[in-house]
Amino acid sequence: MAIFKKIIHSRLFITWCITLVVIVISLSLILLLISHSKRTIVQDAPPKLPDTAYPTDSLPEPQQINLFLLETTGTELIPKRVELRLFLETTQRLNQVVTALIKETPPNYRNPIPRGTVLNHVYIDSQKVAYLDFSHHLASGQIGGTTAELLTVSAILKTVFDAFSDDVLHVQLLIEGKEQETLSGHINISQPLRF
Amino acid sequence: MWVRVYNSFVLFLYILNFSTTHGFAQATTVRFVDEQGETLADVDIKRHEDIVYLPIDSLKSVFDSNLTQEYHRPRGKLTLKMKGSEIGLRIRNSSVTINSGKEVFTLSDPPRVIQGQPMLPIAFYTELLPKLYEVEVKYNANLQRVRIMPKAAWELPTTDTTQEWTIIIDPGHGGEDDVGCQSQNGLIEKDIVLAIAKNIQKIGSPDGLSILLTRNEDVTTKHPQRVQFSNQNRGQLLISLHCNASYSTAHKGIKIFLNNPYGFLRFRQRPITLIGRESLNILKQDDFLKQSKDFARILEKEMNFLVENPIEIIELPLISISDIYMPAVQIELGYLSNIDDVTRLSKPEHITELTKSIVRSIQIYSASHKKSSEPNGIPSEEPTESN
Repeated sequence: MAIFKKIIHSRLFITWCITLVVIVISLSLILLLISHSKRTIVQDAPPKLPDTAYPTDSLPEPQQINLFLLETTGTELIPKRVELRLFLETTQRLNQVVTALIKETPPNYRNPIPRGTVLNHVYIDSQKVAYLDFSHHLASGQIGGTTAELLTVSAILKTVFDAFSDDVLHVQLLIEGKEQETLSGHINISQPLRF
Repeated sequence: MWVRVYNSFVLFLYILNFSTTHGFAQATTVRFVDEQGETLADVDIKRHEDIVYLPIDSLKSVFDSNLTQEYHRPRGKLTLKMKGSEIGLRIRNSSVTINSGKEVFTLSDPPRVIQGQPMLPIAFYTELLPKLYEVEVKYNANLQRVRIMPKAAWELPTTDTTQEWTIIIDPGHGGEDDVGCQSQNGLIEKDIVLAIAKNIQKIGSPDGLSILLTRNEDVTTKHPQRVQFSNQNRGQLLISLHCNASYSTAHKGIKIFLNNPYGFLRFRQRPITLIGRESLNILKQDDFLKQSKDFARILEKEMNFLVENPIEIIELPLISISDIYMPAVQIELGYLSNIDDVTRLSKPEHITELTKSIVRSIQIYSASHKKSSEPNGIPSEEPTESN
């Protein structure tokens, strides 16, 4: 016992102990940093963009656009200004803007585009008619009523004409790649429309 | 000192609350209108326990300018002589004697003295006047409006012109797969519009109109079926009945839609119809836009009495009344997404009022348009472009 006490109280033993603790802490820190840095690298990698959204130029600068939405207590579509990094190519830009309209519902706003709606494709022809092909949700998600249908169509058209006043004259709405007579039985959308 | 100020403030609040809830008469006005919606008079009213009271002078300005009145203050006895009748009333008593007791009538609210003046309850107008005279009186509390119209206004003159009129009523949606919109408390569009369509047929048919329904029961009726039925029966007018819905609960009221491919939303070119080609220059629904607008304005005037918000007429490329070769309107009778409209549409009396206003609009429209053997005046001009 006396020998043990002597060893424990010896300076050499204390020095070794301290050294050991420092080594353990340092190793832990190094391991933590390595694992964290790996995770950060994985997380920060940009999500894969759809083919139509690949930039053709250098990284675009943020621009302000208006999305036409309903205020919770309002009855009119009003412009909500948002910032987007828009590509230079018109079709890609159109895709970005309409996709933003579908997805953006800021607090105190209501989005007249039914939930689950996806923009499949966009195309602008030589007559400046923009063809917007939506998933079936745009029609099947309608709540009924001419006003609701009119709000959906108007939100899309207003947003597009506001952002592309020089590039788009008419908008043709398509559902799953096909022309439709109507979204829910009231408004005729079989032809390209404008205001 | 602060305690006194506080006590005075509490007393003031108590008096204010008492006066508003227990009816120290609150002054405001109601508008009397005739059957055309034209203003007859704006009358200052008082309220007592939420009941509207009107001064006796209002009867003079809107009903009988030769009215005479005698008021015996100590006995609280009020005698009115108008249009050949003597009406005996007592303050705070609901019983009314007509022509010295030959008839007795009970009002739902008694006359009262307010601020020293004897005043008549609104029930005097809505309950007693239609009993004694050939008038119909309606009070719309939301609009603060009273409409007085002759009962005869509802009777359609059975002339040759009107007897040959065929009106198509198209109750929207139908069947299990197409219920239309629904309210949170279970009101369903297809049921409301079918009930009103049947009511229109019931009220309008005895008056010499031939009223046909595109569906008489809860069955699926596709757009081409409705079009075929309407065109084969060669109607002079089509009314498509719908209920509305919106993503905003603030939307409410009645809206009237007309088919115009160059309206609020505009087509790039004229649509091709079910039947055929542009080059044939065949009739299209929007060729009847002028007549449809005429009818919509009559409806607007008639229905404005029923709702708070002004009725809007909106022109759009519509699928529901396209390919119908006659003047046509689509009426959205109220929003099933709005609590006020749902409450209104749940009341049988509102449904009756809606029905009557539509029948009366048909009546006015048919009286002002001569029937021709072909569908109404085949126009050759392009549809007008609305601003």
